[in-house]
Amino acid sequence: MNEGIILEIRHFSKSYREGKKAVDDISLSVMSGDICGFIGHNGAGKSTTIRAVVGVLDFKEGDIFIDGHSVKKEPMACKRVTAYIPDNPDLYENLTGIQYLNFVADVFGIGSAEREESIRRYGDMFEITEALGDMIGSYSHGMKQKVAIISALIHSPRLLVLDEPFVGLDPKASFTLKEIMHDMCRQGSAVFFSTHVLDVAEKLCNKVAIIRQGRIIASGGMEEILQGQSLEEAFLEADSDEE
Amino acid sequence: MKNEFLLLKTLLLSTSGLNILRHSDDRKKKRKVIAGAIGVLFLYLLLMLYSILICVGYGVTGLIQEAPIMCALVISALSFVFTLLKTNGYLFNFKEYDMLMSLPLEAGTVAGCRFFYMYIKSLSWYLSISAAMLIGYSFFVHPSPAVYPVWILLSLILPVIPMLGAAFLGFLIARISAGFKKTSLIQTVLTFAFVLIMFFLRFFLESVLENDQMENVLGKASEMTGKAAGINRPALWFSNAVTKADPLGAFLLITVNLGLAAALFAVVGNSYRNINSALKSHASAGKYRVKTMKRRSVLMAVAFKEFRRMTGSTTYMVNGAMGEVLAFILGLAALLIGFDRIAAVVTGGAPVDSVMLQPAIPFIVYFLIGMVATTVCSPSLEGKNYWIVQSLPIEKKTLYQGKMLFNMFLTLPFMVFTTLCLCVSAKVPAVNTLLYLILGFALCTFLTAWGCVCGIHFMRLDWENEVEVIKQGRAVVIYMFPNMIAAMIMVVLAVVLGMQMDHRILALIFIMAVSLLAGLSFMRAMVLAERN
Repeated sequence: MNEGIILEIRHFSKSYREGKKAVDDISLSVMSGDICGFIGHNGAGKSTTIRAVVGVLDFKEGDIFIDGHSVKKEPMACKRVTAYIPDNPDLYENLTGIQYLNFVADVFGIGSAEREESIRRYGDMFEITEALGDMIGSYSHGMKQKVAIISALIHSPRLLVLDEPFVGLDPKASFTLKEIMHDMCRQGSAVFFSTHVLDVAEKLCNKVAIIRQGRIIASGGMEEILQGQSLEEAFLEADSDEE
Repeated sequence: MKNEFLLLKTLLLSTSGLNILRHSDDRKKKRKVIAGAIGVLFLYLLLMLYSILICVGYGVTGLIQEAPIMCALVISALSFVFTLLKTNGYLFNFKEYDMLMSLPLEAGTVAGCRFFYMYIKSLSWYLSISAAMLIGYSFFVHPSPAVYPVWILLSLILPVIPMLGAAFLGFLIARISAGFKKTSLIQTVLTFAFVLIMFFLRFFLESVLENDQMENVLGKASEMTGKAAGINRPALWFSNAVTKADPLGAFLLITVNLGLAAALFAVVGNSYRNINSALKSHASAGKYRVKTMKRRSVLMAVAFKEFRRMTGSTTYMVNGAMGEVLAFILGLAALLIGFDRIAAVVTGGAPVDSVMLQPAIPFIVYFLIGMVATTVCSPSLEGKNYWIVQSLPIEKKTLYQGKMLFNMFLTLPFMVFTTLCLCVSAKVPAVNTLLYLILGFALCTFLTAWGCVCGIHFMRLDWENEVEVIKQGRAVVIYMFPNMIAAMIMVVLAVVLGMQMDHRILALIFIMAVSLLAGLSFMRAMVLAERN
């Protein structure tokens, strides 16, 4: 394992019972300080890969390492340093925002002062602190997304994994999230996220991986992939080459 | 234990009405919580009254010593069946699986907490039965003061072993079905099969244990209870601990529970992720070609949507169609082994003339088919998808009429089939058979419309898990228990009145009464639909 690698996916494949491969032998690595965008069509295998990375989806072929720990063999060690924000977070609707955040902080064993500071800081950044006493069921989609983001940041993860994180966020919250991503990376963490918004990926990421029908068709540094084009053009070119 | 406690606390908090009362600003929601709590409290009282009456029956007939065993057997049977029906949805394939499993929680911890959450949520029902039977028992026996705490403490443990057994069966069903392409279908079939095996096992055991030499029905009941307890050892341990102050019984009940729980969650924890991954993964065939499509009316389109909703969910299918399957089997059994023998099994061999039972045929079928109406849970099942029907140009009335139409499609064929089978088997005259079929139709209409009233009145869209509205939603609870008790009363009433008057006139009176109730329920449902 190379020093500085936060996420390493080695020959990961995932088949359905019907034998159809959702993901076929993909390998990629995300280093400390990287923001890696994971792009592809609907049904290309992005969410399958992400769910396997965060330890939700069981898999047999290949392995995934987070901060040197195998997701297969040491799932707890991996989860302690990872945070996951799904595309449509299913939070407990009958809890208040603060009850949910306290639950997650308790699971990660975060001390009172530390969690208070984090919740206040991120709550203020996302302008949701005052709503944290309300039931999650009364929140809009964007507010739920903000609570999910705060819960993901509460334990200062080494790896932040996000599935379509900007869907439903208002422009200011999107900006705040991007700032947080940059800040995390400056402190040595890494971010791995899927998105369909190629403009955002182009501006935000230093690394990109393009997945098509379960296979990685291009991956590497942003400049290496773009070669003077926009990410949209590069994506469409790579996609048509594969066809 | 810290994480187990945390997760359990959060699960309970997330579904607690108290949390809504404390933190929600929505007055309507708060009022619903309070009204629901009052309704459920009333049902607890009804259940307790029913349990006390059973004890009174035992006391009057000199069988009061059987009450502890009966209490243990009833709780064991209920906890086993209800857990088996809830395992898929509570233990496996639940909505917030991704969120929980991405946290640093062991799979065994998640599975264990979900099990104990299920246990705590249903405990109040079992404790109501137990406390009521303790009251009845103590009224006749005047036991020593030590019996009271022992009874109550052991009642807390009593449902655990059957629940663990049911959870293990649920685990096996999930494990097996996870390997198939049609996961949901296999799960549904296996769950039906296990529940039916358990249901008919009781009758099978009774017929195996039957002693033809016994003349006294009461004496037979006592012996049967004893023999059933001999098979269900935890029930015997409970009874011994209570009636004989046997510390070994109490010790065995506690240690076997703990041992089984530890073993089960070690096994389930090992393949938890694997099973859930398989249950939650669905590959698309990607072979569809646009072809001629059938046009349906709005009403039929809603009814068809309901059909797809039901067949797409194992939990919904198993709970919603269990009564119909039981009715179908009853009809077949009546044709194969005869109405008289079935009557003998159901009445425990009591000397009952089968002609006496004829007026009760539609109500016997109704008891099974009417257990659950899809209209009770389908309004709540819209859940977060409610916006779809809200944003479409569908009249609220039409929406609920569509839901009712589906329930009629589901219940009516089974009502007709089973009523016909029972009538043929019992050699009911043709005119009476026709009247029973009409009464069956009226009963189906009533259960559909009354179910819809409960479903709309206690509609809950913010559920976390569909089991919450299918199995233990307030609408279901408030519909089911009074309906089952009313069905039993109607069976008795039909038999008693049938001895006094002509069966055809009686059937006509029932048809008019039930039709009136069905009409009133339908109108009420339409009013509620407009208001909602």
